[in-house]
Amino acid sequence: MAQLSVQHVDKIYDNNVQAVFDFNLDVKDGELIVLVGPSGCGKSTTLRMIAGLEDISAGHLFLDGKEITQTPAKDRDMAMVFQNYALYGHMTIYENMAFSLTLRKENPNVIHKKVLAAAEILGLTSQLNKKPSQLSGGQRQRVAMGRSIVRNPKVFLFDEPLSNLDAKLRGATRREILLLHKRLQATMLYVTHDQTEALTLADRIVCMSMGHVQQVGTPLELYDSPANRFVASFIGLPPMNFFDATVREGELEGRGFRVKLSEEEKGILLPYAGKEIELGVRPEDVQGGGDIALNVFSNENLGMNTLVHGHIGDGELANRISAKLRGWYDYKEGDRVSVEFSRKHFFDKETGVAIGREVKA
Amino acid sequence: MNEEKSIRLDRMRYTKNTLASSLAILAILFDVFYFISIYESNVGSWYYNILIGASILYNLVFMLAAFLSSEGIKNYKIGYSYVMIVLGVIQILRIFIFPMRAHAATVTIQEQAITVMETKQFLLCVVYLAASAVCLIAGAIVGMIRSRELKAHIASLGNQAV
Repeated sequence: MAQLSVQHVDKIYDNNVQAVFDFNLDVKDGELIVLVGPSGCGKSTTLRMIAGLEDISAGHLFLDGKEITQTPAKDRDMAMVFQNYALYGHMTIYENMAFSLTLRKENPNVIHKKVLAAAEILGLTSQLNKKPSQLSGGQRQRVAMGRSIVRNPKVFLFDEPLSNLDAKLRGATRREILLLHKRLQATMLYVTHDQTEALTLADRIVCMSMGHVQQVGTPLELYDSPANRFVASFIGLPPMNFFDATVREGELEGRGFRVKLSEEEKGILLPYAGKEIELGVRPEDVQGGGDIALNVFSNENLGMNTLVHGHIGDGELANRISAKLRGWYDYKEGDRVSVEFSRKHFFDKETGVAIGREVKA
Repeated sequence: MNEEKSIRLDRMRYTKNTLASSLAILAILFDVFYFISIYESNVGSWYYNILIGASILYNLVFMLAAFLSSEGIKNYKIGYSYVMIVLGVIQILRIFIFPMRAHAATVTIQEQAITVMETKQFLLCVVYLAASAVCLIAGAIVGMIRSRELKAHIASLGNQAV
């Protein structure tokens, strides 16, 4: 398989719009990297530059130490799986999977072996004589993956492959991709805007916004220690709660709450004494039984948990908050629930950069 | 059975019999050339009018039958091989019906004796019909062999599964 290195890559379109700014990434052999971010953040553009489908405006791209920045897409030995499958409707599944090898004029018997092996991996053996229109969305996406597998490329590129599938199928296909990665031990780059896909699939996540890389790390690192407010708000469902708070002596004071700081937190926030910062608390880190009053305005029972939406503080400027409480509760609008914050994240109010990363209470 | 042959047979489970099918399509093409050629004949009597008319009508039937056979044989349906053989034999027989009778025969048009089909035209018609027949019979043989091979291969896979 392969090591991929992306160094200081920019993408500037002809109309001078810059889509990607100074993108750097080293992908290890057999690693599954997920590029995640909202629509328009430059993740697909980055993937297309790596695939050779877009020109690289500046920077360098290396595959196994060899520069491929100017190498045409067909010679990069990478296979791309698209969101819309890109299957040939008039060909059978077998012919679709064999197509790229047939174009290369490989021996038909060798092609046959490769196609059958890929079909076996993907559970498509019984579908080989069918046309794409006879398959479900998930099966079609597997065919698209099979077409990549038969080529035995150095790098697999996935551009939002599950976006066209319904929620149930998406979950099942996601697990198949994960199994496929474990089985092939291939280097893979996967683009998605779905943070659940990113967290469940990735060895490492590249979180992007507005063409800039915000953070690169393992799913746990991004969840537990977000580098900035954007990553904190993007990763995690429901999203993190943010409150303006002022650092007082030994405590943090905000609208409708006053929380004590541990010695470690005091040390981290020492440079911010008397200043306003942003406090981030994940809904699952809001727990019942503290001295903060949460005024309920809606209640969602999720089975094991209850998602409570409300506000803390009074008046128009009250802080909105979501709390994921363990257990089944039937709160009504106007109920008051006592809560506390078990984990806190601090962000610089001006820059949004995380202060001291995650701190346990 | 060596591995190469085994894979070749297994491949047939997922690929079409394009050779046999293409031969059938080629036979249709030669037939088209044939019926274009017969229009050049100097028709001076009801006898040749009827022969040419019947030939054109048969061409329509032939093209439909040959096309259906090409589709059938493409999917290894052995029955269509027999249809193609029959069509091929009829193409050969046709040589003796119109071109052969018209060749060197004369009709009187405006009190002049004119040859219905010149030698050059006759030879072309014979070649087209013969080529069409050869394609059909060759396609039928290929289809028959491959269909039987595939059938035996699938049967052997079934036995292995048991």
